[in-house]
Amino acid sequence: MLKKQILEQFQNLVGPENIDDSEVMTNAYAYNWCMELVNCMEEKEPIPFSPIPKAIILPSSVEEVQQIVKLCNKYHIQFKAQSTGLGPWNQPSSENCIILDLRRMNKIVKIDDKNLYAVVEPYVSGAQLQAETMKYDLTVHMPGAGPQVSPLASATSMNGPGFTSPHTGHSARNVLGVEWVLPDGEILRLGSTGLKNHPDWFSGDGPGPSLRGIMRGWAGAKSGIGVFTKVAFKLFPYPCSTKFKLKGISPNYEFEIPDFMKLYVMDCKNYKYLEKVFLAVEEEEISFICSHLSGYGLGAIFSNSIESLMDKIPIASTHAPLVIVIAARTSREFEYKQKVMNKIMAEFKLENIIGTKYTPNSLFYAEALRSNLGLHGFIATGGFQSSKGQCDSAPLCLNTTKMSIPLKKKYIKKGVIANDFGEGVWMTSYESGHYFHVESPTLFDQTTEKSVKGMAENMEENYQFDLIKHLGAPFFVEGDRMHDKFGPHMMDYHKWLRKIKKAFDPNGIADSGFYISAK
Amino acid sequence: MKISELILSQQLAKICGSKKITNNPEILKEYSTDMSFFMGEVPKFVIWPSKTQEILKILKLANQMNFYIIPVSSSSKLKQHGDTVPRKDNCVIINLSKMNKIISLDKKNRVVMIEPGVTFRDLIPKLKQKGLRLLLPLYPTGTKSVLTSALEREPIVIPRYHWDSSDPLLCTEVVFGTGDLFRTGTAAGPGTISQQRKAGQAQLNPMGPTQFSPFRVIQGAQGSLGVVTWATLKLELIPTIQKVFHYQSNNIEELLNFQKQLAKYRLCDETFILNNLNLASLVRNTSEEIENLAKSLLKWNMIFIISGRGDLAEDKLDYLEGDINDLIRESNLVHLEKSDLINSDVILRCVNESTSKPWRTRYKGYYQDLFFLSNFENISNYILMVESNYSEDLGIYIQPINQGTSYHCEFDYFYDPNNDIKLNEIKRKFSEISIDLMDSGAFFNRPYGYWAKEMYSRHIEQTSIALKKIKRIFDPNNVLNPGVLCFDD
Repeated sequence: MLKKQILEQFQNLVGPENIDDSEVMTNAYAYNWCMELVNCMEEKEPIPFSPIPKAIILPSSVEEVQQIVKLCNKYHIQFKAQSTGLGPWNQPSSENCIILDLRRMNKIVKIDDKNLYAVVEPYVSGAQLQAETMKYDLTVHMPGAGPQVSPLASATSMNGPGFTSPHTGHSARNVLGVEWVLPDGEILRLGSTGLKNHPDWFSGDGPGPSLRGIMRGWAGAKSGIGVFTKVAFKLFPYPCSTKFKLKGISPNYEFEIPDFMKLYVMDCKNYKYLEKVFLAVEEEEISFICSHLSGYGLGAIFSNSIESLMDKIPIASTHAPLVIVIAARTSREFEYKQKVMNKIMAEFKLENIIGTKYTPNSLFYAEALRSNLGLHGFIATGGFQSSKGQCDSAPLCLNTTKMSIPLKKKYIKKGVIANDFGEGVWMTSYESGHYFHVESPTLFDQTTEKSVKGMAENMEENYQFDLIKHLGAPFFVEGDRMHDKFGPHMMDYHKWLRKIKKAFDPNGIADSGFYISAK
Repeated sequence: MKISELILSQQLAKICGSKKITNNPEILKEYSTDMSFFMGEVPKFVIWPSKTQEILKILKLANQMNFYIIPVSSSSKLKQHGDTVPRKDNCVIINLSKMNKIISLDKKNRVVMIEPGVTFRDLIPKLKQKGLRLLLPLYPTGTKSVLTSALEREPIVIPRYHWDSSDPLLCTEVVFGTGDLFRTGTAAGPGTISQQRKAGQAQLNPMGPTQFSPFRVIQGAQGSLGVVTWATLKLELIPTIQKVFHYQSNNIEELLNFQKQLAKYRLCDETFILNNLNLASLVRNTSEEIENLAKSLLKWNMIFIISGRGDLAEDKLDYLEGDINDLIRESNLVHLEKSDLINSDVILRCVNESTSKPWRTRYKGYYQDLFFLSNFENISNYILMVESNYSEDLGIYIQPINQGTSYHCEFDYFYDPNNDIKLNEIKRKFSEISIDLMDSGAFFNRPYGYWAKEMYSRHIEQTSIALKKIKRIFDPNNVLNPGVLCFDD
C-alpha cells in the first residue's frame, strides 16, 4: 500500500477511480504466466507471483504518465509499465513498485496509408489494428506471442519475431517515430516526431545518431528505460485478398480460404537438407510464412486440443519439416509463386504433404493470416516457455537446434518436460532470409514443482551451453544476474548498458528486474 | 613545430611508424575544406593507421594528451558535407584508407565484412564475380568508402530492400572515444569472431547485444562517438534480367502516386524520381550533352526497374509487368508518358556500378546538395518552396526509402566555382531555404555543417540532452570530431 499522502497525490493526477492499492487488486496483479519459472530460476519459491506492487495506476495520457513518473522520482518509488501484460516481464521485482497499467491508452492514433505506417497507443492489440489496416489493403507485423498482445510493447520493449517475419520483418526494425517518457519524467520524441514545427511520425532516427539504439536492442528493456506511450511502425501489403469470411463457433470456425493462398509442408528429413531448402525458398522472396518446427510442433499448429493433436501422426512423424505459406494479390503473382515452389520441390526431390498425406482445417489459413499460430504451443501441457532465442544465420540456428537435442532429452528422461524427442523448435526467416531466428519452446507443467524446477534447470543449462559453445545470446539475457553472466563473454557490453541506465535513470526508478541496474 | 606538437608527432610515429604520419602543409590543407560550403581549420597531422590496435592506441593517446581525432575513411578529394573538416585547432586526421580489406564474403548468408577503406570501385566488381550486389545509393562515386556511406545513412535506391533505415549496415567493430574496443549486434559474442563462425554465425543481426543496439548511435554520429574498424553489410543476389521503365510527366503528383503504389505492393526494385536536369546529369557526361537531353525530357521523370533471377526470371518479369500495367489502368494515370529517350543500359549502369567522377559535378563542375526527409504529402510543397527561392541549374532527386514510409528529398545546386557572384548568391539562397524548410517540417535527419545548430534548435530540447548523455558515455573527453551535431561545448 501507499502512504495516504502519496496515494492522494496519485489520485489527484488520474482520479481516485484510476488508482487502487487494495490488497485484492495488488495481489491479483502479482500473478503472471511463467512467474513461477522466473522465481525458481532466481532460487525463490516457485510460485506464480511476483513481489506485490504497492498500487495499480491507470493513466490515460502521456502527460499523466509523465506526472506519475515524476512523483515516483520524488518519493523514490519504482514503476513498472505494462500494456497487454502477458508474461513475467510485466511484473515488479520489488515491493517498492507501482504498476502502470496502460489499458486506458487504447487508441489507434493514425493509420497512414500514404506513408504506410500506423501510430498506436499501448493497449491496442495486433488483432484490433490488423482489422483496421485490412481496410487499406495493409497488414501489421505481429510477434509470435500472438495477435492479442500489444504491438507497441513488441516494437519498443519486448522481443519481435513473428510467423510472418519473412514478409513483415522484426518488431524492432519496423519502428518509426516514438513517444517515450524517460525514467526521470522527461518526454523524448524520436526522429521526425520530435520536430518543434510540424512534427510527424515518418522517421524515428536522428537528427544525427538514432536513439532507437538506446530504447532497445534485439530484446527490449521491459520498462527498464521508461514508458512508451505511442509508437509508429511500418505496415506491409496484405498478402492476398482482404475478404475474411468466417462461420461457425469458437474454436471450430470454418474459414473461406482466399483464392490465392497455398500451404506447403515438406519433410526435409535432416537439418543439412533443411538448411539448403530453407535458404533456397527464401532467396526467391515468395513466402508469407517460412518456418521450421519439429514434427510435434507441426502437429500442434494444426490442432486445437490434445485430442486433435493425437490425430496428427502422419505429420508429427516428419523429421525436419518446413512450413511455407505463399499468398498473392493476383492470379499472375500466385501462378509465379507456385511455379517457384514446384521448381524447388523438383530440384530437392520433395513432396508437399498438404493435399497428399494431410489436409488441414480451413481455420489454419485464418490463423496464419492473423498470426495466431504461436498459441498452439499451450495445448499439450497448458504451459511452455522458450529457451534459446538466437538470431543470426540459418546455419547457426540449425547447429543450435541439433547440438541441443541431447541436452533436452536429458530433461525429457527425467520426466520434467514433455517429450518432443528433443527437437522442439520454432525457426523462422526474416526479411526474405536475410537472417534467422530459433527458439526452443519447451512444454512443462506449471502446476507441479518438480516440472517447474526441472524446466528451470533446463533453461539454466541451455544458457550455459549457448555461452560455452558460442551459439549466440538467447532471448532472456535480462536482469543483473544474466547480464553479469553473459557480459564478460560479450565485449563487456553490460558495463556500457549500466552506464546508459545510470545516465537515463539516475534515481533507479524504472524497475530493472528484467533490464539492468546501475549498481 | 612547437614542442608539444613534436612530442605528439613522436608518440603517433611510435604507434604507426614515422612513414604513416605527415604534417606536410599542402596535405594538411586538403583536409581543411571539402566540396561543401563549410569552412574549417587546418589539422595538425594526418596519420594512416593500418590496424585496429593502432587506432586503439591513438585514441588512448588522444585522451591522455588532449588532442582531437577526426576519422576519415578514404583519401578521395571529393568529400562533401563538411563532416570531416576540423572545427577546432589541435586536430589529428586518422585516414583509414589503408584499412581496405574485404575481410570475408559469404554468398550463402548474403553478407560481406569490410574495412572502412574499401571503396565502391573495389567492392562492386568483387561482389559481381560471386553473383552478389550491394544496396547502393544512386550511382555512387567509385572512390567513396562503402562503409562510410552506410554509416551516414545514405539513401539506397531499392525501397523494398530497405527493411530498416539502418540498412545495409549490420554488425560493426568500433573503437569508442574512450579507446575501448567493442563489437555490436551478434558480433559481440559470445566468443571471438572466429569462434562464432565455427558455430555457424555470420554477423548478420545488427540488433543488440541484448537490450541495446549501439550500432544505431554510431550510425549518423559523423565519427563523433567511435571509429568503426569493420562492418558487415547486407547483400542481395544479382538478378539475371533487369528491365528498365522510364515514365515522364509534367505533373509530379501523378508520378508520386504511381510510385507509391509500386512501393506499397513491392512491385519493383530500384525506383526514383528526378527532374530533367538531374536525370540528364546522371546519364550524360558533358554540359552540352546534359543540356540537350534535359531540354528533350519532360520536367519529372520516374525510373523503375523490375528484375528476375534464374530459370523463372522471365516468368517473374511477366507477372510484375502484367500487375503494373493493371495498376496503371486502374489508377487512371492519364498524363504519364513512357519514354525511351535513354538507353536502358545507361540507366542500369547508374544503379549497378560506380562512377569515377561524381555525377552531380558533371554539369557545372561543382554542386552543393540540400537534402532532408519528408512524408509523402509534403514533397510537392517543398519542391515549390525551393524552386521559388532559387531555380537556376537546380537538380532534384526524390527517393522513397525505408519500405516507402518516407522520402529522401534532394536539391542539387550546380555551380561554376569560378563565378564568385553566382556562388555567393547560391550560398545565401541555400542558407535561407534550409531554414525555411526546417521551419516547415522538413526533417534534416543528417544535419551536416551549418545545418546542425539550426536543426537541433528546432528539435525538442530532450534530444540534445539525451545525445549529450550518450556522448559522455562513449567519448567523455570529447576527443572525436568535436563540434559536430549538438556536441558543440
